[in-house]
Amino acid sequence: MSGQVEIRNLSKVFARPGSDDTLQALDNISLDIRPGEFVALLGASGCGKSTLLRIIAGLEIPTKGEVLFNGGRICGTSPKRGLVFQEHSLFAWLTVRQNIEFALKTSRQYQDRKCEIDRWLELAGLAEFAGNYPHQLSGGMRQRAALVRALAVSPDVLLLDEPLGALDSFTRMSLQDELVRLWQERGNTMVMVTHDIDEAIYLSQRIVIMSPRPGRISRIIEVPRSYPRDRASGDFTVLRNEILRFMNFAHEQQYDYVLLLRHYKSVGSLVTW
Amino acid sequence: MKLTAWELHRLESSPKSKLRRTFERILTILPLLLVMAHMAEYKLMPDFPKYVANRIAYPVSDTYTVFLGILAFALLIYLILSFFSDRKYERLVHSSPLYCVIAIILSIYDIATLKTGILQLPYFPWADRILLAIIEDRKMLLDCVTNSLILLFAGYLAGAAAGLFCGVGAGWSKKIRYWIMPLLKLLGPIPSTTWISIILVVASSLFAGSVFMIALGVWYPVTMAALNGVANVNRSNFEVAKTFGANRFELVFKVAIPAAMPSIFNGLTQGMGIACTALMVAEMLGVESGLGWYINWQRGWAEFAKMYAAVIIICLTFTAVNFVLTLIKKRVLRWKEEYV
Repeated sequence: MSGQVEIRNLSKVFARPGSDDTLQALDNISLDIRPGEFVALLGASGCGKSTLLRIIAGLEIPTKGEVLFNGGRICGTSPKRGLVFQEHSLFAWLTVRQNIEFALKTSRQYQDRKCEIDRWLELAGLAEFAGNYPHQLSGGMRQRAALVRALAVSPDVLLLDEPLGALDSFTRMSLQDELVRLWQERGNTMVMVTHDIDEAIYLSQRIVIMSPRPGRISRIIEVPRSYPRDRASGDFTVLRNEILRFMNFAHEQQYDYVLLLRHYKSVGSLVTW
Repeated sequence: MKLTAWELHRLESSPKSKLRRTFERILTILPLLLVMAHMAEYKLMPDFPKYVANRIAYPVSDTYTVFLGILAFALLIYLILSFFSDRKYERLVHSSPLYCVIAIILSIYDIATLKTGILQLPYFPWADRILLAIIEDRKMLLDCVTNSLILLFAGYLAGAAAGLFCGVGAGWSKKIRYWIMPLLKLLGPIPSTTWISIILVVASSLFAGSVFMIALGVWYPVTMAALNGVANVNRSNFEVAKTFGANRFELVFKVAIPAAMPSIFNGLTQGMGIACTALMVAEMLGVESGLGWYINWQRGWAEFAKMYAAVIIICLTFTAVNFVLTLIKKRVLRWKEEYV
């Protein structure tokens, strides 16, 4: 079965630019992602979730440990591991159609799959915008185009680095539905980095909660609900509250609100919570 | 019912008062009237007595009358069209003040030179003499334009190609940058025209030397622009391309260069300005052809009308060259927001 990612005792250390200092981004991460699974990596900024994703993509080299993809050790990038970023995800100098063609050509699948381009455009609701340049599209359309471009080369696993992070909440919710639809149709593995708890619950089968400095997996939560899910349901809220409580704890930062308020009062600035 | 953008503009702009409409109408007719007045002034006002006394030395022809006639005819056509098209009307209203000023300046110049002799020959030939010079020397001028353009583009294309090669290479690879940067720092601040005296001595042919000098002037801004352009391409572009399996060739030619195009075109535009300057210097000091040489040569004969003629031709030529460059830029950068 393809689309399996096994992370074994992975650590990543970065050199701080301009000094001899180093920074531990990931510490001893182990995680098995099953083929066809939808996994969300959830955590505050600085917890190393994006680094983990980039290592799976082959853009960063692990310091210690290893990542196996379909049983083999990862070495560099591959069209089998697609990637979608939050911004600059499309090539600005190519039209939507040319963006998809670029993906197919560079992954040497153009001859076999060029007939599928129209279907992908249709699927993304971009058929009439095929000849438009990215700046002529709305943010939501751009991300839809980036999604289908990544899927067009038929990756085993799609790595999503906060792909909906820059969108307004309505566009985001409708794109979350599209994402589920695309995933169910394709059946590939999905690994999504997010800091949006609702998004993680709504989309994923497993939520991997990470804690920062150094990045560790602090908890893995199964979400055994069928799709499509109900954002307004009671157990959705229960799960969200649980994660919220847990993450506050995982933070290990208990604010003394009284002291904080007193501090802001003495400074004389108005606090808007 | 769907509005066109023009209808929307009409609908939303505040209605014009009757006075304003009348004023605008008069404004559209004014350039035509002024050109015709200038024509009448040129034909009817008596010339400066010194010129009238010696018509053989100071001939006056109807070339300028014909030129003004063509101008008036073009304005008349524009005016008639403006009665049928709102868009043309608005554009004419917009440009009319400028046209009026041009017509007035032409009249003033004519009065100051031919009619009153305030500005004397040979330094200030009247418009008719300049026009005659262009027509009389058209064969030679055309030859000069051709030669200038050949030299300009030989140097420009060579410099731009070298600049693209160096700049993209240095922007892409640290190793290439290591060797290019000292060269840029050393040669960059020296205006390329500085080399002319050395080139005049060393170069095997003046043409080749001038091509080299122009190319050197273009090379620097294009290299800098391409270097910065490529070095500043957003990293995620490369990363996404890599996940699609792009090889190094594709990363350079299908990602780095297209993404750096806006910056590269800034360098190309800047380079064109430098190339035009270097061309004139080369032609005035060494090369024995082209418009720069023509001006210098005519100065030797104190043929000021022909010098002015050459200046006008140079202006038209360089404007045309830059116009073409802008067209290419707009076409290549049509994916950029500001060019839509």
